[in-house]
Amino acid sequence: MLAFIVRRIISTIPVMAFVALFVFSLLYIAPGDPAAVIAGDQASPADVERIRQSLGLDRPYLVRFGEWFFRVLQGDLGTSIFTSLPVTQLIGQRIEPTLSLMVLTLILAVSIAVPLGVIAAWKAGTWVDRAVVGFAVFGFSVPVFVIGYLLAYIFALKLDWLPVQGYTPISQGIWPWFKNLILPAITLGTVYIALIARITRATMLEVLQQDYVRTAQAKGVNSRDVLFLHSLKNAAVPVVTIIGIGVALLIGGAVVTESVFAIPGLGRLTLDAILRRDYPVIQGVVLIFSFVYVLVNLAVDLIYTLVDPRIRY
Amino acid sequence: MDRRSFLKTAAGTGVLAASGGLAMPALSQGAAAKTLRFVPQANLANFDPIWGTQYVVRNAAALVWDTLYGIDSKFQPQRQMVEGEEVSSDGLTWTFKLRPGLKFHDGTPVLAKDVVQSLKRWQARDPMGLMIKAIENELSAVDDRTWTWKLKQPFPKMLLALAKNNAPCSFIMPERIAKTDPFTQITEYVGSGPMKFARNEWVPGAKAVFEKFADYVPRSEKADWLAGGKNILVDRVEWVIIPDAATAAAALQSGEVDWWETPLSDLVPVLKGHKDINVDIGDPLGNIGAFRMNHLHPPFNNLKVRQAVLTAMNQEDFMRAIVGDDDKLWKPLPGFFTPGTPLYTEAGGDMLKMKNIAAAKKLIAESGYNGEPVICVVAQDMSATKAMGDVTAELLKSIGLKVDFVATDWGTVGARRAQKTPPSQGGWSMFHTWHAGADCLNPSSYTAIRANGDKAWFGWPDVPAVETEVTNWFNAKDMAEEKAAMDRLNKAAVENVVYAPTGFYLGYQAWRKNVTGVTSGPLPFFWGVSKA
Repeated sequence: MLAFIVRRIISTIPVMAFVALFVFSLLYIAPGDPAAVIAGDQASPADVERIRQSLGLDRPYLVRFGEWFFRVLQGDLGTSIFTSLPVTQLIGQRIEPTLSLMVLTLILAVSIAVPLGVIAAWKAGTWVDRAVVGFAVFGFSVPVFVIGYLLAYIFALKLDWLPVQGYTPISQGIWPWFKNLILPAITLGTVYIALIARITRATMLEVLQQDYVRTAQAKGVNSRDVLFLHSLKNAAVPVVTIIGIGVALLIGGAVVTESVFAIPGLGRLTLDAILRRDYPVIQGVVLIFSFVYVLVNLAVDLIYTLVDPRIRY
Repeated sequence: MDRRSFLKTAAGTGVLAASGGLAMPALSQGAAAKTLRFVPQANLANFDPIWGTQYVVRNAAALVWDTLYGIDSKFQPQRQMVEGEEVSSDGLTWTFKLRPGLKFHDGTPVLAKDVVQSLKRWQARDPMGLMIKAIENELSAVDDRTWTWKLKQPFPKMLLALAKNNAPCSFIMPERIAKTDPFTQITEYVGSGPMKFARNEWVPGAKAVFEKFADYVPRSEKADWLAGGKNILVDRVEWVIIPDAATAAAALQSGEVDWWETPLSDLVPVLKGHKDINVDIGDPLGNIGAFRMNHLHPPFNNLKVRQAVLTAMNQEDFMRAIVGDDDKLWKPLPGFFTPGTPLYTEAGGDMLKMKNIAAAKKLIAESGYNGEPVICVVAQDMSATKAMGDVTAELLKSIGLKVDFVATDWGTVGARRAQKTPPSQGGWSMFHTWHAGADCLNPSSYTAIRANGDKAWFGWPDVPAVETEVTNWFNAKDMAEEKAAMDRLNKAAVENVVYAPTGFYLGYQAWRKNVTGVTSGPLPFFWGVSKA
């Protein structure tokens, strides 16, 4: 197992290198010019050119990529063109809100979606099943920002229970932290809940047709144990897979959710950097997100061994 | 329902809740007593007012760095850091003296050598600064509080250059910081203004904090825009960056923020209906909408094609697309200068009043236009440019021009508009923008009105008659001469279509009623603002 983990971590190196090359190349060919944004609207073309030169943006692609890649290998993600702050510092400032949002969303989504999917499969064809399927369709169909505004209106403006926007670090208390994050987590989690609930339902429907389930029921095992001990464990591999894949969904959704609730996280940092063409920040954040995604996939692979003893590495 | 309509509805429903008596959230009410929370027009992504000339940087910088002179609401330069000035009878030597007791935020005194170095850095980036540099013999400190500026020829607009509020302003920094190359960003934010920048609390894209500077020495005169006593009445000003307009509206309604600089016009009716919120015009100098045509390449290198566009355009269409149905927010603009200001002129602006499609078509026929596509580059992420772009596309089609509409983002427009290559080779034919009315009072900082060919702003108009009148304005000895030069300048700019002004429009600002002292001006003034 340890050898597998080490092998997988080593295998992330070429993946990350490819991501680095891809992102750098994409930004190189993308239109836009940070120098023009910095110089402001009234700046002369000559001023824009001077700024471009001072930022080193006039140098050849290979030189720029080589320098950047060499620095990345040393753990230096560069300096933001706009703020002159190290990218690692900017990411450090923003990582807690995004991680908090993603973890809370993940906990919320899994703890709601898996039971919903199990119950829907158990009660297949009844109104309960149809309600869960209906909710899943709703979750997939309604844009994240609509859910966000709706929740903010009801719980922040109408009921005055929760703040409209912002983020409170967890170091200032669990309750203030939770109050700021619960609406964004529900907003971001809706589509995720829909996804996991649907996959759980579909997989459970299949498992519940298996002979061993019928045997367990014939032996008089109670429904709860049949569902959660015997069936769910056997349905877990696809569910765990979809939870892992869904992390990418969370990363994408975080950009919109953080904008709607003005959470100073990595999603907003990315969006701002893209709009301004702050290349080092975009590259740094994408690398971090890619790395997180690779780690999530590794975690998923390891969880397989816990839920299915037949899987060995 | 599109996203914009949804925002309006979502925020609109908020006012119903508010009218039912929403209490302020318990969140940080105690801490907020002396803290003013302000939602600025944009993110403060960098903080060097010479290196980055965006308005949001200028607005924040006005808190931290002071200027030698400040412009007042009558557009007159008034002494600010300066105690007095003398100009020699031949107009060639200016001698200035600092007020006593001025200190930087690091506790060191403001000295003439700091001023000299700051002015040198500013000169390299500012159009008026460059003009002074071109005629400069020497800029040097005489003693700790005195410095002289020796010129080769008189420069009557010296005080205006030092007082103007257009970016970049001549902010005064310590000498060691001002020695930074003007094309490289400073990393130390030490000024002598009324507030200190709390760098350790700065989260670009989320928050910027300013703290009252206890050693600031305000002038005794009443504050008037950037002139007079800049008395800070709160302990802290927190800039809260809220990129989403509906969220900002909700935050203002719930009392999480106190003042919103630029509410979306769609949301203003909601805010006006809220019992705890005041709404008023933000910047009385407003904005001038514009699209620029590329004078280097067909079809707009042909004067008749440019004139046809101006002849056909109806500014009301553009303005309603930007500000909606609120007639208080816009005016037609048969010229290039800011309405309601001393040098405003409509001389020669008849072409902009015609709205005559038939006459425009006749001009197109006479021009020999042979069907070249107009590459119309429109930023979709800016509501004003998007709105204008849609109107322009229809306008061009209505007079028989072939339109290639390029929908993109502002970052791309910024890069593409600098391309001088033909439109078919990655260049462009036209792009949309806007100019702050404060920049368009006169030609001093009005880059967009200049028509000096290769050195001109994007579009590169080459109209000697315009340049002659710019020079005449700079050399004018009195107001009458200035006005005469402005009339001739406006006429020449319209006739040659330096660019196409689409109208003049205003915007609102909104603040909670427990905040007092908010005034209208070209930038948000925090001095004199208090919070109950």
